[in-house]
Amino acid sequence: MSWQALALSVKLAVIVSAVLFVVGMPIAYWIASSRWRWKFLVEAVVALPLVLPPTVLGFYLLVAMGPRSPLGRLWLRAFGHTLSFTFEGLVVASLLYSLPFAVQPFAAAFRSVDRQLVNASATLGVSRLRTFARVIVPLSYAGIITGLVLSFAHTLGEFGVVLMVGGNIPGVTRTVSIDIYDQVQSLNYAVANQTALVLLAISFITLSVVYAVNRKVWVL
Amino acid sequence: MKNVRLGSLFLLVLLLAKSAPAGEITVAAASDLTFALTEIAHGYEQKSGNRVKLAFGSSGNFFAQIQNGATFDVFFSADVEYPRKLAASGLAAAPTLWVYGTGRIVLWAPADSPLDLGKLGMKALLDPSVQKIAIANPAHAPYGRAAVAALQSFKLYDQVRDKLVLGENISQAAQFVASGNAQLGILALSLAVAPTLKGKGAYWEIPTDSYPPLEQAAVIPTAATDKSLARAFLDYVRTPEAQAILRQSGFQPPPEKP
Amino acid sequence: MGADGDAEAPAGKHALSAHIQKCFPGGFELAAELEAAAGITILFGRSGSGKTTILSCVAGLLAPDAGRIAVGSRVLFDREQRLDVPVVRRNVGYVFQDLALFPHLTAEQNVAYGLGRLAARERRRQAQAMLEQFRIAHLAGRKPAELSGGERQRVALARSLVIEPQVLLLDEPLAALDLPTQSQLFADLRRWNREHQIPILYVTHSQREVFALGERVVVLDAGKVLAQGTPQQVLRAPLQETVAQLAGFENIFDARVIALHPAHGTMTCRLEGSSVELEVPLAKAVAGEAARIAVNAGDILLAVECPRGLSARNVLAGRLVGLEQEGITVHARIDCGVVFQVKLTPTARESLALAVGREVWLVIKTYSCHLLEPEPG
Repeated sequence: MSWQALALSVKLAVIVSAVLFVVGMPIAYWIASSRWRWKFLVEAVVALPLVLPPTVLGFYLLVAMGPRSPLGRLWLRAFGHTLSFTFEGLVVASLLYSLPFAVQPFAAAFRSVDRQLVNASATLGVSRLRTFARVIVPLSYAGIITGLVLSFAHTLGEFGVVLMVGGNIPGVTRTVSIDIYDQVQSLNYAVANQTALVLLAISFITLSVVYAVNRKVWVL
Repeated sequence: MKNVRLGSLFLLVLLLAKSAPAGEITVAAASDLTFALTEIAHGYEQKSGNRVKLAFGSSGNFFAQIQNGATFDVFFSADVEYPRKLAASGLAAAPTLWVYGTGRIVLWAPADSPLDLGKLGMKALLDPSVQKIAIANPAHAPYGRAAVAALQSFKLYDQVRDKLVLGENISQAAQFVASGNAQLGILALSLAVAPTLKGKGAYWEIPTDSYPPLEQAAVIPTAATDKSLARAFLDYVRTPEAQAILRQSGFQPPPEKP
Repeated sequence: MGADGDAEAPAGKHALSAHIQKCFPGGFELAAELEAAAGITILFGRSGSGKTTILSCVAGLLAPDAGRIAVGSRVLFDREQRLDVPVVRRNVGYVFQDLALFPHLTAEQNVAYGLGRLAARERRRQAQAMLEQFRIAHLAGRKPAELSGGERQRVALARSLVIEPQVLLLDEPLAALDLPTQSQLFADLRRWNREHQIPILYVTHSQREVFALGERVVVLDAGKVLAQGTPQQVLRAPLQETVAQLAGFENIFDARVIALHPAHGTMTCRLEGSSVELEVPLAKAVAGEAARIAVNAGDILLAVECPRGLSARNVLAGRLVGLEQEGITVHARIDCGVVFQVKLTPTARESLALAVGREVWLVIKTYSCHLLEPEPG
């Protein structure tokens, strides 16, 4: 039972969810309210990780992070090493991979807020940003929570992308899903089962708590 | 009248002969055999008219799958232990076990690496420019275990341990170092001489006395769907043409039977 | 004859003036010009006539294709000058048709919403004062879902008025309320209006509201202003057929001028397709000219005996051919050669023992007959 791998996975999931909250909300707000005619392109790009096999995404990330790509070289020059095989690399990979799981529920929730409420707020002299904070966000709690939970759960269970760019370094990039896989590969089924059950229990408890807390919905 | 009858009978026989179903087998093979076996299978298909479906991956994976009922017709492992375990547990026919060759590990650096492997040999691993070293996961890949054994016999393991990144299989290890994300890798010779990596980098053969021999064996699982066709394929692999391909691909010939 | 367009209320320095032109993809074109001084100006018209569009343009939620909108000397929109003050800075209060109350905030929080610039204590004080003015202070802590229709209306009004707007826009605010609640809100609004004197644009399609509330009414149809004036001017004596129809004149007939009586101030017209003749007020016409006459169904008297000694010039004999009760109104149809529609009370019907087939007499005053102008263009 590798508690280290479990802790690493939880840490990754928490950090990625937090970053997606900060980054995903403005993107979702733009998608929900913009009327730019090429908006559909942005929506397609955001949704890509939903349909891309994780190994494909992982492969392109590996190449992008390598010293031969312009992005990789930039990072190398700034930090002295590439992004691959690091925890930060996993965070970046997971951000891209879980992006639609945060942005789409956020955007759907924002869109479903009655337009007249936004208009009313404007006529009362409240700026767009403050309208977002005081009207749109409170009325979108359910969607926001859903987005956060989905990002968390999705990152916790991530395998393909981590496999491609992680390098399986214990304590750094050996997440619990990689660990379970390793145990199975080494025919240690009992250990694998143990770890898997713990992961299942943690995920279930987290989701239950969030959905229980989120039972209230604004009516009218 | 008689001629027409004979003629149509002849045509019928011809048609039937043409549409006789071609045999097909599914072969599971370790990733380091990717190029060698693809060529060999192609040659076999041309000669026999049968079809060979190839699946490449890690030997440990295939071992587990066969244990759980996978119906591969032949299993080419990257070691000899997995086939032995299968035979011992009755999941493969012991007489069919055949060591088809021994593998070698090499130190590999991409073409743009400043390191001169020929001069440095294993010492290259200690160069400060080397931040990451890719090997296959020793927990379940024979080539990974061999890499670790070699590092230990050169007394470098503890020093480079923190720089190791583990590939799912030998191919992924190759991908890590070929993409430049790892500066050096310990790969299979068969991969280093394969057309895709050849010319992309340089390799140095690690002395064979630093790691236990990588005997690689094939076996026919009992769950195979077409055992006679499987045997026929294995026989083809024993032929000189197939052996030549194996040798070219970095596999040493199987040890002589005493 | 005809009074329209002259503003009896001088455009004060805070009057709203709006010239709006806007084309919509479906083909609808809005081209309206109106002036609204301090007080309640009713925008009256069918649904789809452009009333809500005008409100949206004044509020800044919609940009006209061309035109100018100003409150006093403060210009809110001017296409020529490329001026378009954003919604948040227009200081225009808008009570939407569905109120748009924030469901997650209490009544007090809703009212205080627009006061964000003030300190917390000042905000509460003003919000509470406003709630008291509209007599809903006891509901301060309730959410909109816990309020009745009338109470929600008041919260919406209070919310828009607490920010001291320069203009107030109301979109059919009383449509969904029952009569007693409506009357109460009328009273509250009039009271507030007396104290603050800002232009209030009040959109409705209900005649009753026009007469109950309006100081001025602007009649809108198919994107154009048909008439402006006091409710009496515009709706009691409609000049145009569309307005007449809108105002509910049920009897509109084609007629031909037969004789003019300048000494009496009247002229005789025969209704087309019959021998019925009506004496109507004198107009600039010549004998033989075609005309359209409108009579409000509520302006016609019914008698079961031939009446004598009346001042009315038009007494027509006919037969009752239709009788229907709708709520507290009885609609009767009488065939005098042309069919007239008459509105009666149920009491009248009972006391006269009316029944279909009965012989009756219609009495119509000269001044109840209105001559309509031919439709423009």
